Amino acid sequence: MFRFNPQTLKKLRRFRQIKRGYYSFLFLLVLLVVLAFGELLVNSRALLVSYQGEYFLPTYTAFHPGTDFGLNYSYEVNYRELKKLFAEQRSGNWVLMPIVPYNPYENNSNGGLFKPNPPSLENQHYLGTDTTSRDILSRLFYGTRIALVFSIVFTVWVYLIGISVGCAMGYFGGVFDLIFQRIIEIWSNIPFLYMVIIVFSVIPASLAIPSRIGILLFIMVLFSWTGMTYNMRTETYKEKSRDYIAAARIIGASDTRIIFRHILPNVLATLVTLMPFIVVSAISAITALDFLGFGLPPPTPSLGELLKQGTATLRTAPWIVASAFSALVVLLTVVTFIGEAIRESFDPKKFTVYR
Amino acid sequence: MALIFSKHYRLKGLLSTAALLILTACGGEDANAPLSEDVIDNTEEVQAYYAANSGFFAFKTIEDLPDDLSWQSGEGMPEMGSPNAKKGGTEYRALQDFPRTLRTLGPDSNGGFRSEIWDDVAMRLAFRHQDEFDLVPGLAREWALGSDGRTTYLRLDPEARFSDGEPVTADDYFFMFWFYRSPYITAPWYNNYYSTMYTNITRYDDLTFSITTTSGKPDADSKVLELVPIAEHFYKEVGPDFVERYQWRVAPTTGAYLVESSSIKKGRSIALNRVKDWWAKDKKHYRYRYNTDRIQFTVIRDTEKIFEAFRRGDLDQSSLNLAEYWYEKLPNDNADVQAGYIHKSVFYNQRPRPNIGLWMNTSRHLLDNKDVRLGIHYATNWQLVIDQFFRGDYTRLKTAEDGFGEFSHPTLVARQYNVEKALEHFAKAGFTERGADGILVNGSGERLAFTVSTGYQTMKDVLTILKEEAAKAGVDFRVEMLDGTAGWKKVQEKQHEIHLAGFGAFLEMYPRFWEHFASVNAYDVAFLDDGSVNPQRKLKTQTNNLEVYASAEMDELINRYRASEDKTQMTELAHKMQELHHQSGSYVPGFYQGFFRVGHWRWVKYPEFFTHKHANGAGQLYVHWIDSDLKKATLQARKEGETFEPAIRVYDQWKN
Repeated sequence: MFRFNPQTLKKLRRFRQIKRGYYSFLFLLVLLVVLAFGELLVNSRALLVSYQGEYFLPTYTAFHPGTDFGLNYSYEVNYRELKKLFAEQRSGNWVLMPIVPYNPYENNSNGGLFKPNPPSLENQHYLGTDTTSRDILSRLFYGTRIALVFSIVFTVWVYLIGISVGCAMGYFGGVFDLIFQRIIEIWSNIPFLYMVIIVFSVIPASLAIPSRIGILLFIMVLFSWTGMTYNMRTETYKEKSRDYIAAARIIGASDTRIIFRHILPNVLATLVTLMPFIVVSAISAITALDFLGFGLPPPTPSLGELLKQGTATLRTAPWIVASAFSALVVLLTVVTFIGEAIRESFDPKKFTVYR
Repeated sequence: MALIFSKHYRLKGLLSTAALLILTACGGEDANAPLSEDVIDNTEEVQAYYAANSGFFAFKTIEDLPDDLSWQSGEGMPEMGSPNAKKGGTEYRALQDFPRTLRTLGPDSNGGFRSEIWDDVAMRLAFRHQDEFDLVPGLAREWALGSDGRTTYLRLDPEARFSDGEPVTADDYFFMFWFYRSPYITAPWYNNYYSTMYTNITRYDDLTFSITTTSGKPDADSKVLELVPIAEHFYKEVGPDFVERYQWRVAPTTGAYLVESSSIKKGRSIALNRVKDWWAKDKKHYRYRYNTDRIQFTVIRDTEKIFEAFRRGDLDQSSLNLAEYWYEKLPNDNADVQAGYIHKSVFYNQRPRPNIGLWMNTSRHLLDNKDVRLGIHYATNWQLVIDQFFRGDYTRLKTAEDGFGEFSHPTLVARQYNVEKALEHFAKAGFTERGADGILVNGSGERLAFTVSTGYQTMKDVLTILKEEAAKAGVDFRVEMLDGTAGWKKVQEKQHEIHLAGFGAFLEMYPRFWEHFASVNAYDVAFLDDGSVNPQRKLKTQTNNLEVYASAEMDELINRYRASEDKTQMTELAHKMQELHHQSGSYVPGFYQGFFRVGHWRWVKYPEFFTHKHANGAGQLYVHWIDSDLKKATLQARKEGETFEPAIRVYDQWKN
């Protein structure tokens, strides 16, 4: 059975005591779970359709053409209309829709013009619609999901590369360290934004959207891992010269064992405290790129794209910028609170002036 | 330089450092100044060029002028502009980008500011009357078409002057050909056009000359009459360093407005001044136009900020073409509109329409199948975009050549969105089953998906709407947004699958087909000698044949059309070609805007008919004027809360 060491347990207890960070953490966890099963809450596909005594669960299955439910078209059923139709027919068929019955791509103006419509309970556009009458809540929801997943994957990769390289530099030192430091110095001077713009201009749009997002992620990781190495290098240097490492070496421990069993656990504090801030920077970066039009390919829902629309329609449709801005603020604040709390709980000095 | 030297000379004590300083100082000076130092005079080079190309540049005497010419001078045409126009005042406008250069050709010259100093302002030999389409005199007092149908004889107006007082003479037109054909200008389009479209220029005396075009089209005269002289005396320093040397020089103009050199604040603002004693200021068609004394441009990069500046009164006018602006950002019930401070005007014009639509690259896999193309036609819901996104303001294009009068096809219409028909056509092409996401797949599991790219950022929403609708018909549009240059490059390299774009249409008599549909613009050798398709043909890039359209039948029609000198025959051929193009289904006609609309402060006045039939925009013909007294009065009234009658005007006299 895996057991935390008492030190770590103490830190975790301390983290729980910092209410602001702890509740933020719980909030984020719940948000992640909700987002993971988002299709059940925000979707144009019905949760459950009862048609002629048969039950359909269309959420995660292949699409159902209109003909499946006695309609005369072969493209995907419009479940909202189907619901109305069944209600009118009173033939015992029924449709159960999610709370927000819109997907982030469809233009739905309820027969009117494609323009920003203010929030309305009646239309179930709870945060209104954007400039082409797409549901804002739905776009915000899936935009946040993409941003969060994106930033988490980003963080994992930056950590993997940053830790391996940084640790190796610190541990082996000497020429290896010297050369790698120079390489990193050069590498980190390449302007990241321009690289993204250049690389993105040559990626063919024929690639599927997920793979284009993947490429964007790859480029961002490629130019972001260097910052991590500095911390790791110094930490490793510091730990390496401690007595317990020397002791381990004398006993005959291998390099791998020293790095993984002794050094890494001891620099964990630095790594963990940095993590939320990297997440924050990733979210900001992807939002900024979208805002500038170099981020996720359209029509992918994204916070940056909503912000851009919002700033262009400040006077006429303030609800767009209000929703996007609030969502971003909440997200970044929550992650920052968690980061603060982790930093504090991992701080060996309980009473510090930096509180 | 001398000054720097003497200054440091006195500080002999600081020897080495000072010497170094002087060196660097001199180096700096040298880098900036050498251009003006080595004097270039290309007179000899130009004369040698004339002599070497004596077939093109001919010198004759006035006695050689044919005497059977029937001279025309565009008389009897109603005058353009309004006699009520007041001269004076300053107009405030915005530029999104500071001009990268004041040259009108060569690198970076093709920006928006060029039309302010060249296209809309420079005087041509003659102009199309903007209501009647016939020609009215400009720099030429009279002109005559020679018996060969290709040569136009011209008599310049003896009063025609450049803004620096130099008279406009035949020499400026001779020089123009040298200039446009010169490699120094690094403008290949000009090099090519002026080498191939014209075959001769002949000088009879200072003010009399003739120019011959390559073919005798019904509008051969306008190909000549639209030419703008190049001031020989100003461009005599044109040489290998033309691009840098003339980067910021203010060229003398024959037109009404000249850049005010002292007003150039790079990156911030620039101003145009009405030329003092402009030679055409009392001439018919010009005396009531170009009314404001000064036009002040300020750089405001953000579209929204430009609009806000207009709302504040810092700018005099603002385009309200986009539905969003007309209906929401400045609605009719807006306080300033209701108080009569800001007027709103819509003007319906008539002119060739830019052919915005989807251009399919028929050399690509799947798109080479006509059924796939026709399916895409029926799967593209332009009408929905027009009705619900553009709020019914715009109109569906019928063909790629709308607005050319009788040259446009009288009955053809674009195919309407129809899911059943789309599915039928896709089924014929082998796409019968829908995949799990509703997109059609064929027997070998291939998805029916295409990249739809565009270089117009404003078309992003349009494409996402089209994408959603196309998905219903089982075809997936992958939207690719590019910036303007990248988008243009992509289609020029023929790297696109489907591209949303439109070619700007000039006010011309008849549409162009060769550029878009000739097989020489599609492949190097499209067909073999026996007429069959060349299996080894290679794509030709850098042409405007965006569909890679190659058909022997079309080629034959194009050649007849290009050779034809008879208007009725040309019309027939044009219709036939449009039918052929329609049948091939490789272009989905989009929409056009049959009007323009502006918001303008009360002190910006327009003629009672607003502007002329063929105008492209409110300011293009400079028929408006600024009433400075009214401006003062309006600002005062606004301060005191006094209101006026609101003015929302619709000018639909040319609506069709």
